Amino acid sequence: MKLFWKVVCTLLLLAQAVMGNWWNLAAPPPQTQVGNTSLETFTTLHKENCHRLEFLVERQKQLCMLSDTMIKVLQTGALQAVEECQYQFRHSRWNCSTVENATDIFGGVLKFKSRESAFVHALSAAALAHAVARACSRGELNECSCDSRVRKRTPRHWQWGGCSEDIRYGEMFSKDFSDSKEDKNTDEGLVNLHNNEAGRRAVRGRMQRVCKCHGMSGSCSVRVCWRRLPQLRMVGDALSTRYEGASHVKVVERKRGKNIRKLRPMHMDMKKPNKTDLVYLEDSPDYCEPNDELGILGTRGRTCNRTSAGLDGCRLLCCGRGYQTRVRDHEEKCRCRFVWCCKVHCEICRFKRDHHVCN
Amino acid sequence: MTGTIIENLSGRKLAILVSFLLFCQVTCFLIGGLVAPMPANTQNILGTVCRDMSIVKNDTTKWYYNRGKGSCKTVDLGETHHDLSETDIVFAFQMPVPRESKILDYSRWQQNLIGVLQVDIKYHSQIEVQPRSTITIDARLAYRNKGDPEDQWKLYTQSVEKRHLDCDIDVKSEEYLYNCSAIPLFELGSLFHDYYLLNVRLPVETPTMNSHIGHIQDMWLTVINQNGGFTKVWLSLKTVFFPCIIGILVWFWRRIHMLQRKPVLLEKMLLALGLALCLLNMPIEYLTLHFDLPFMLLLGDIRQGLFYATLFSFWLIFAGEHMLIQDASAQSSVKQYWRHLSAVAMGCISLFIFDMCERGVQLRNPFYSIWVTDIGTNLALTFIILAGISTGVYFLFLCYMIWQVFINISHKRQSLPTMCSVRRLHYEGIIYRFKFLMLATLLCAALTVIGFILGQVAEGQWKWDENIELEYTSAFFTGVYGMWNIYIFALLVLYAPSHKRWPVVENTSDTQNLSEEMEFSPLPSERGSSEISSLTSFIRKTTID
Repeated sequence: MKLFWKVVCTLLLLAQAVMGNWWNLAAPPPQTQVGNTSLETFTTLHKENCHRLEFLVERQKQLCMLSDTMIKVLQTGALQAVEECQYQFRHSRWNCSTVENATDIFGGVLKFKSRESAFVHALSAAALAHAVARACSRGELNECSCDSRVRKRTPRHWQWGGCSEDIRYGEMFSKDFSDSKEDKNTDEGLVNLHNNEAGRRAVRGRMQRVCKCHGMSGSCSVRVCWRRLPQLRMVGDALSTRYEGASHVKVVERKRGKNIRKLRPMHMDMKKPNKTDLVYLEDSPDYCEPNDELGILGTRGRTCNRTSAGLDGCRLLCCGRGYQTRVRDHEEKCRCRFVWCCKVHCEICRFKRDHHVCN
Repeated sequence: MTGTIIENLSGRKLAILVSFLLFCQVTCFLIGGLVAPMPANTQNILGTVCRDMSIVKNDTTKWYYNRGKGSCKTVDLGETHHDLSETDIVFAFQMPVPRESKILDYSRWQQNLIGVLQVDIKYHSQIEVQPRSTITIDARLAYRNKGDPEDQWKLYTQSVEKRHLDCDIDVKSEEYLYNCSAIPLFELGSLFHDYYLLNVRLPVETPTMNSHIGHIQDMWLTVINQNGGFTKVWLSLKTVFFPCIIGILVWFWRRIHMLQRKPVLLEKMLLALGLALCLLNMPIEYLTLHFDLPFMLLLGDIRQGLFYATLFSFWLIFAGEHMLIQDASAQSSVKQYWRHLSAVAMGCISLFIFDMCERGVQLRNPFYSIWVTDIGTNLALTFIILAGISTGVYFLFLCYMIWQVFINISHKRQSLPTMCSVRRLHYEGIIYRFKFLMLATLLCAALTVIGFILGQVAEGQWKWDENIELEYTSAFFTGVYGMWNIYIFALLVLYAPSHKRWPVVENTSDTQNLSEEMEFSPLPSERGSSEISSLTSFIRKTTID
């Protein structure tokens, strides 16, 4: 019976999988050759580019068409999200592998509302907010908003009261963009919205406060503080911790008054997830064996660490299938000397190293 | 014989005056909190890495920027470029950055511009950054005005500067960034032009130059400017206070000149205090809207310093004049207080020298910082510590003097019961009002300190209610500024000589005062003497009693 349901579920998921997600932008699209030729052709093409991306919903296409550079920024966000995901999952059974020429860049893996899906949603929302905020700071995006944090009744132009931080627009944009795809009324949508928000909050929570005094004689009678955008790696680390402690939830409908749907932990004795926690609905699929339909590559051929007791250890990573040890010649850059700005003089060191590969 | 107004003012009138001043105080606070935006605004600008294609690298007519006509070719520093050398890399910061699809420009109301640089350095196990290394920066600042062609940047200033780079890292792993301290880069005392452009290069002229700074990935510039709205509110306050204080000063001085005697020391001090406040209030910032005046930051410091010096001196002399130990015949002068005032002078002079060394030199070179060289750091620290010691000594001295005054008062008060009732009531009134003013001073000082600490503790903005958002920092500044103006206004009013001895006075309704007048007149020691406060005369009278 259980098997039957699993098959049904998979079939349903495959039916849905026609729609990809915006992080498909990280995959090299067929029109990149055109887009990269020169800036002028890019500017004339950008509208078409956005329309051609079938994995975007209508609102996302609108946002994409805001300006010439927007699609570039979106692409940067997607690329960084995938890169960061692969870094964070480098030791896991599913190493955030991407599939070429698929409707979804991660294959069908994320059709399960698993921990991994939660992580990818959060990370991509965070990476988008981060990329947009960076573009704002660089002055590339003219659209960055200037909602002054001073009250509405004062004149709201920049010269009067300045602008809000760039991350604010980044978050707003990320919310508008990634959340527009999700439907609040489905369980899946509710969970994705929660995880997107958790990702954005991870960026905000990692901001670093810097202050400068410039009062009389440079004293601290007048002090101004601002916040620095964190490195995406820090956000990835934070989300990775959240991933490990993610909550398994179910959607509870409250009939009283309006139809309010809320996320509650699966088991009553577990802590209620707060806004920064990641949540998931289903257990992860089996990542050990290859599954072409889901785009799971399996752990066959992965390098493992014989001495580690963690996830990257051979026992866990190879799913108990055992491993082969090969001695390989290893080449590595060593004794590097860095010359500002752009040169690194390194020697190449060769040594032999044991290499463990899963069966 | 003269008293001051505070002694002869009825309780009701005093209450009215005090509540009026309190009302003004609250207004000042609310203007800052509700109308003004926060005092300063920051913009974080991520540097665009431009490729310098020119052959002659020292050409200051060639500028690199990322927006508008003639923008530069960008380089990705994440990759290694073997065809590039350090002279080809320019970090360009074009300010202000655009918002809401509009190209913003600086307004002269924004007064000043401070630049702080932050570098993102990637960790490489092979190239570790030393905890305290020196970075050499070739910084060039250019400006452009509205209406100029987009590629016509003009050199504003240029300098090669050294700065300390303090970096540490928690996770020593590839791809992680160092946590580097912010580097103060420049301070412009006037924001005269519309657009600015900073080009930063990191030269390598000697083998050790810029060799231990690791792999710079990004450079962030945070530009801080005063908010236009804050300047407007601040200047309006000044424009209101300036004529008020001038007016009350004229009234005060005329009142003194109506007397037969010469002005006494405390009156002169009050006048000096008023003048120092006028200097502080003078809204000369209006001139910056039409002229390029880079010395405004320095001038502001000097004006503030002068005011503080006068205020501190006044408190000392005020306490000293109520010490009740001088002989009545001697006309007291500032010379008697030279020992007391030397602490104030010392503090002010050392701060002034420090300021001249830092902000004075910045007039010539906005990139200058005294803290870079060891000698400069020691020099600056010496002056700051000297100023700190002077302040400490001053406050100890002041507290000691005030304590003595209170001891004197309590001694004399013991003889109060032996006096007749009318006189006793009057004397108690004087003590009460003297203490009232002492209390006001303490209250003002305490409020300033508490407000300052609250501002430091609070994370910028305070929300007291869902709907009422109070801009606390601005409210603190306008509140404190208003408070000291009101304080000095009150001093000038209440310590002006009273004209009570003339038969036709404004306060005839105050019958008690009239009886006091009669009580006062027969005392021999009062005649012809020149005490300012009848507190002193009261003490002398009690000795006669």
